[in-house]
Amino acid sequence: MVEYKKTDNEALVVEKHVTNLHDGFAYWSHNEKEPPALGDARWTADMILSTWLMAENGKAPTNGKEYRTGLSGGGFDQLGFKFLPEAEWLAADTEIDLSIPLNKREEGRKIDIKLPFYGGGMSYGSISEQVMLARAMAAKKMGTFTCTGEGGYPPSLVEYKDHIITQVATGMFGVREETIQYAPIVEFKYAQGAKPGLGGHLLGDKATWVVAQMRESVPWVSLFSPFPFHSVYSVEDHRKHVDWIKTVNPEALISVKVSTPTDVDMVAVGSYFAGANIVHLDGSYGGTGAAPEIAKKNIAMPIEFAIPKVHRYLESENVRDQVTVIASGGVRTAYDIAKAIALGADGCVIGTADLVAIGCTRCSNCERGRGCPFGLTTTDPLLSQLMPPEWGAERISNMYAAYAEQLRAILRMLGLSSIRELRGRRDLLKYLGMRSAA
Amino acid sequence: MSQRTLIERNVGRVLASRGNLQPKGGFALDRSDEAAEGGCGVIGMASSERVPAKHMLRALAQMRNRGNGKGGGIAAAGLTAKQFAVSDKVLHEDYLLAIAYLDSKARKEVEAEYVEPMFEVDHVYEHPQMADFSEIEGLDVRPPDVVIYFVRAQAEKLALFKAENSFEELSARELEDEFVYQNSYRLNTSYYASLGEKRAFVLSHAKNLLVLKMVGYGDDVIRYYQLEDLEAHVWIGHHRYPTKGRVWHPGGAHPFIGLNEALVHNGDFANHASISEYLAQRNIYPLYLTDTEVAVQVFDLLYRNYRYPLEYVIEAMAPTTERDFTQLPESKQAVYGRLQASHMHSSPDGPWFFLIAQSDKGKQDEDIYRLTGITDTSMLRPQVFAWQESGQGDEKVSIGFAASEKQAIDAALDSLAESDGRFWSRADRYWNARGGSHTDGGAFLFSVHEGENGKTELILTDKFGEQVRIPSHTAAFRANGYKAETELPEAPDVEQLFNKLVAQIPDWDYHDALNALEGLIELAKGEQRAKAIEAITLLMDRRYATGKLRRSSLLSLCDKAFDQMLENVRSAPSDEFAHHAFGDIMPKPANEQQCLVVDARGYEPQGEESLSREIHRLVAAGFCRLMLTHVRGHRFIGAGLGPDSAGLVIDVYGSPGDYLGSGLDGAHMIVHNNGQDQLAQIMKAGRLVVHGDVGQTFLYGAKGGECYIRGNAAGRPLINAVGKPRVVINGTCLDYLAESFMAGDPLNGGGFVILNGMRFDEAGELTPLQEPYPGGNLFSLASGGAIYVRDPMGKLTDDQLNGGEYIELSAADWELIRPYLGENERLFGVSVERLLTVNGQRLAPEQVYRKIQPGRVRALQAEEAWVKKEKTQRVGFH
Repeated sequence: MVEYKKTDNEALVVEKHVTNLHDGFAYWSHNEKEPPALGDARWTADMILSTWLMAENGKAPTNGKEYRTGLSGGGFDQLGFKFLPEAEWLAADTEIDLSIPLNKREEGRKIDIKLPFYGGGMSYGSISEQVMLARAMAAKKMGTFTCTGEGGYPPSLVEYKDHIITQVATGMFGVREETIQYAPIVEFKYAQGAKPGLGGHLLGDKATWVVAQMRESVPWVSLFSPFPFHSVYSVEDHRKHVDWIKTVNPEALISVKVSTPTDVDMVAVGSYFAGANIVHLDGSYGGTGAAPEIAKKNIAMPIEFAIPKVHRYLESENVRDQVTVIASGGVRTAYDIAKAIALGADGCVIGTADLVAIGCTRCSNCERGRGCPFGLTTTDPLLSQLMPPEWGAERISNMYAAYAEQLRAILRMLGLSSIRELRGRRDLLKYLGMRSAA
Repeated sequence: MSQRTLIERNVGRVLASRGNLQPKGGFALDRSDEAAEGGCGVIGMASSERVPAKHMLRALAQMRNRGNGKGGGIAAAGLTAKQFAVSDKVLHEDYLLAIAYLDSKARKEVEAEYVEPMFEVDHVYEHPQMADFSEIEGLDVRPPDVVIYFVRAQAEKLALFKAENSFEELSARELEDEFVYQNSYRLNTSYYASLGEKRAFVLSHAKNLLVLKMVGYGDDVIRYYQLEDLEAHVWIGHHRYPTKGRVWHPGGAHPFIGLNEALVHNGDFANHASISEYLAQRNIYPLYLTDTEVAVQVFDLLYRNYRYPLEYVIEAMAPTTERDFTQLPESKQAVYGRLQASHMHSSPDGPWFFLIAQSDKGKQDEDIYRLTGITDTSMLRPQVFAWQESGQGDEKVSIGFAASEKQAIDAALDSLAESDGRFWSRADRYWNARGGSHTDGGAFLFSVHEGENGKTELILTDKFGEQVRIPSHTAAFRANGYKAETELPEAPDVEQLFNKLVAQIPDWDYHDALNALEGLIELAKGEQRAKAIEAITLLMDRRYATGKLRRSSLLSLCDKAFDQMLENVRSAPSDEFAHHAFGDIMPKPANEQQCLVVDARGYEPQGEESLSREIHRLVAAGFCRLMLTHVRGHRFIGAGLGPDSAGLVIDVYGSPGDYLGSGLDGAHMIVHNNGQDQLAQIMKAGRLVVHGDVGQTFLYGAKGGECYIRGNAAGRPLINAVGKPRVVINGTCLDYLAESFMAGDPLNGGGFVILNGMRFDEAGELTPLQEPYPGGNLFSLASGGAIYVRDPMGKLTDDQLNGGEYIELSAADWELIRPYLGENERLFGVSVERLLTVNGQRLAPEQVYRKIQPGRVRALQAEEAWVKKEKTQRVGFH
């Protein structure tokens, strides 16, 4: 952890702000009135406030707030489930299995996660060490994973290494043999759905002294990871890349994170044949308030098209049951997770929802080092203390528990006793038709 | 009529005539199956002497990890008549129509429809094959039966073809070529592409050129079709790595053909659709839906139909761009500008490397068999070229190579050397092409000219048609019954022994060399084993005047002597040296300093049984000194040792594969040869010494460590390196040196790279390169670290930078780099005095070296002041 010698006054200031923030999250999520200017069509005010409620008490809200879908008029918001008539629901005490395997191959270590989702890569520097810790603690508690992103592996995280994925991205920031060796799963980030064709980037404001130290770069200089990997220009290079990681950590499972170009199905099958255990499709609705406008939401295929395309193609190649398909990029709720799985994914990765649970309001000030009002997307030594890791871990775990409860309910209403049975059941989905943000 | 109008009119007619080739109802271009592959492994060789295919076996076997067994093929040009039981006349004058029959019942129909009515068939050769394809492990599709028809177009059919299409102005050869081309196209459309079932297709149809391919690895093709002893002047071999489809067809394997050429390809292009459209507008409809076929169709169109000189064909495919374009003479810029404008949509865009085997005609209508290697302008696929030549006059034998990896070339040379005394295990020169370079064009052509007296010559030219002469005033070694004695100068230590030898070598003939090496072998049998091994290592590593001896020949003899010494270690190990080979039980070190010689043969290039994993086990068993020998493309050597491997020393002999030293964190590695691609990726600490060149993305994402490279680095060295790597490169780099370098302040613990821009000439003298750095994008987007470049003549210009700035070398800079240059001198004999001597004059360091540092990229001055305050209060990470 970052140690910062606080003066007495600073300690009091932090304490005051933390108290006020926590009061505010509770106040607004329980209040009938909505705060002004909260949310957008994708992440509605209702959805943010419901997520805060879930983070508080681990249950879906019962106050009438719409916690399941947003009002974007597209994507998951246009899909609903064809639930069975109530008489045909499974009994409330039916055991429902939410676990999914991350290695479906015959060989290699078997890793199942208890929930059909894990946390996506967010780098040290893009978020604070406190947020990374909170996510890692929650992953451990809930039997799933989180991911380092591309900014190094803060030593405080090593304690949670069995629940942390090491990301190897195009800038190789912070990637060292030990960080590869810690990880049960190594994720190659070939591309990111929010900005396909671009590497990761961290603007100068956020490349603080500690961040630069972790990445061994120069402070206050914007960091741009290249695109693509300059060592990987073909599937044969990719296989070599996988072989490299397997040399350093033979036990590691391999995840390949790609965006969703029109030939994403080809990419998926190529990744599988080159040794991937997980193919991670990152669609374009997703995160990062820092992605440049020109890339954001303008490139790549919507995730709800990419998932079935990949799923069907892997089926036709007879390898669907050898590889885990994970979807991400705009997965905001338990309902989104269920829809992605019904479209053909095995599970999902979530990112923004983790942050919302610990106070994010989607104000999109992420790219500025001291712009996050809640102390999340910053490494400012004072500001980052607004989010104590234990508090954050509790909030994220609660949200995961609420998701699990909702997923079980969804499955029960569909007459399914395992999340694995839902995979690829597009027949259980319906198109909701045009609705608009009223 | 001008030549130009004549060509225009005839090209128009030829292309129009192909409109008839389309099946009725037009051609539905099914794109659902396109671009279904990425990487591949390729090798090509061209020799003034015909060489048998078996010499490609080892090279292809060692590159299997670049394919997946779903497509392999070979092409041969410049064959011998007797192998097909035809006369020389038939071999040279007839088209070799090689047809693959997937369905043996199709043969009668194909012959009745497309062979007998069209051609005079002079000879039918049923290609031999193995009786049972399942004898080849991993082969799950039966390869096609192959029949080669030696044919000439029937006179009346040809006359009709000419009349129907107004081809009066085509030469006889052009007319018959087009006749063959269109006939094959029809055959393929009926029997392969458009049918649901695939029954037969044309493998090749040129004169004196043969293609064979199947679903398997490239080396499987040689085995299955029993080509081991088939001789040819030009060979290419290919492993394919298709990623899509459960059913593969041999038609999808490389090489693909135009008419007189066969092409293999490593990479893929992004604009396959656009090039397909370009071809469709010219009535050319590729049938196999891969970008490779499209590429060869473009080549055939430009060379055969448009009659572009090869230089223009290459320019149209791999345009000269950026700074290189501006360096071209104005007249060339004018032509190239037009070529680029015309071929905007037919120029393959993306990572690719082409090898092309051609059966061509020269100006005097003489036969030429050619191997051409072209790399894309961005150099995104690995490629290496090599050359070896021996003998004079009628005795002269030359061989050229182009391949994905140096280790594959070495494997072919090894194989040749074992059975043919005219070859030896090391090439005279290895080099990487700089795509789109203004100096050589980034493409090299090895042309075998067959003279009338049967004497053939191999000529190496660059893209511009300039002959590349690799000086060889020295004679190569030819075994001729030397009887070696043991004659070795006395010397108390290895340094003096080496110095004495180097002083003698200029007067040596091969007999003396063999005697001295025999002396070293003897010495290595006794107490002075370490001294002898070190001395022969120095002979292999260092550059010195070799007098009458060819350097590569001498090295090859050293290789053999070195092998003998290690063999003696195996049979008589000592406390100092022990031996370990694949399959041996795990040894225990006799003492901490014991050096373990590890014979790499038998270990896989990657995976559980790999050499790199064995190294982990040996280190765990307690060994601190490893000497890896007979390394043949093994990957990841020294990767996975984990944090803090200080104290471990690994010497690497042979041809190591990619990713050597990646993640190195404390250990020392010494490569006694060239390295390949991705060396020292994410290196953290320790030391890497390479007595040769290194390949692409050297030190990608490195954090620290010391590296000394005797030769050049290929593209993008030190990309995204951070922390404090300290690097000396004595040669130069292709492009993008230190892109996004972020290695702090070198004067304050950060990193740097010294670029000396020097080479050793044939006489072992250190000489400056024409320019220290030929490319652009130097220090592009870098925010930290520095480049110290030896540039006394001030040849580097501002337009080579992209964000950096030149400043004068300070005393502090010199104090910083001087020790590294000192170590560089100790390792390679690159003397600091020589570096500071320019045109015979000893200059001050600041007159010789320039510093390149990041330009004004720091926009956050106010923040920095704040940080200074922050720093003083911070304790840091724990």
